Amino acid sequence: MNTVDPHTLTGAYALGALPEHEAAQFARHLARCPACDLEVRELQETAARLALAVAEVPPAGLRARVLAALPEVRQLPPVPHRATVVPLRPRARPRLPYLAAAACLAAAVAAGGLAVRAQHEADQQRDRSTRAEQQTAALSALMAAPDATFHTTALKGGGSGTVVVSEQQGRTAFVYHGLPKLPEARVYQLWYSREGGMVPAGLVETGRAGGAMLLTGTPRGAVGVGVTAEPRGGSSRPTSPPLALVPV
Amino acid sequence: MPVAARGDRSPVPRSGALEDLLDRVSRGDQQAFDNLYTAVAGTVLGLVRRVVRDPAQSEEVAQEVLIEVWRSAARFDARQGSAMAWIMTLTHRRAVDRVRTAQAAAVRDHKVGLGSYTPPFDEVSEQVERRLEREQVRRCLHQLTDLQRESVTLAYYRGYTYKETADLLGTALGTVKTRLRDGLIRLRDCLGVSA
Repeated sequence: MNTVDPHTLTGAYALGALPEHEAAQFARHLARCPACDLEVRELQETAARLALAVAEVPPAGLRARVLAALPEVRQLPPVPHRATVVPLRPRARPRLPYLAAAACLAAAVAAGGLAVRAQHEADQQRDRSTRAEQQTAALSALMAAPDATFHTTALKGGGSGTVVVSEQQGRTAFVYHGLPKLPEARVYQLWYSREGGMVPAGLVETGRAGGAMLLTGTPRGAVGVGVTAEPRGGSSRPTSPPLALVPV
Repeated sequence: MPVAARGDRSPVPRSGALEDLLDRVSRGDQQAFDNLYTAVAGTVLGLVRRVVRDPAQSEEVAQEVLIEVWRSAARFDARQGSAMAWIMTLTHRRAVDRVRTAQAAAVRDHKVGLGSYTPPFDEVSEQVERRLEREQVRRCLHQLTDLQRESVTLAYYRGYTYKETADLLGTALGTVKTRLRDGLIRLRDCLGVSA
């Protein structure tokens, strides 16, 4: 490494491809080389995109096992000397403010077990995953839109939902979590609230407590997104008071 | 934290959902962790699976990573990058540790060297590429030269050091280092991560 311009190691370092001792050595170099440091950060953000591209659906038991372990785990305090390590140069932030959000939704789709698939239960598996992938891509694009906004709310009756809207993309997503099971013959239905009334915007897949879905129709002109419990198959107008109404 | 002046055209980082969640997690908020899990578990597991391959071990490593996120959430520093990049760096490191430990154990136990550890690399890059879920990443990977793409995917998705990558590709060490960097820079620009 001594014979090489250390700057060329930014890529290998960001990809985790340096052996331990060289990584440690390069980390020390980073402390003295702001340009390398900035490049490494950007390349690490880029690597995270590679990770997003291979997201999978986690097995059902994993969440429970992780959550069960938490009470036993003692959380670390913040780094005590943080004030002294504030960089002397202007704040350098990677230029990917939307990445985390995109990641969030893309992974939520995967985590939600492809809840975005259409309602034809008889569809073949392959069709499902193809559609799910397309939906994932559309959801990611939505999240990546510079104008995407997030609106989170609790649902009456339990669970929570986040409505993500992009006017530019002309799309809306609903990311939900912890939705209680409804009585047999009912489903969660989404609505755009527009001037003059509620417009149907899709059904949450039955029996799924968490996931993400694209709403049908565009958010243009909508002042809010509502959630109701409707008879199976959905309704053309709400037949029950909203469980949530999110202004957008 | 400085507030960007109005009219400043540099992108003002909005406080992302993940960063907020991580902040709450660092203060022991289990509900926030549950949400964070929903957001990242699939990506954590996906990356671990690429590197570790064995499903049972991958799940184990993913579980460790997610618990580590809970444990060390307070160490996340938003000034250093996004929450997703922080979590993925952690994930990749853990996955690679597991593989390298297993290799070391294999060397110890069976006296086999790294030379005998030669994964079928054609299958690797094909699989990696076939399974990319995001069109944008796929498109951008295809804009790399073959050597850039192979270097980047072997190093990241398979967890090889640059030396192992060079061996696999039959390429000089210095060349692989350079390809890892310029390949990743090209990806960065293609994906719009550039400064």
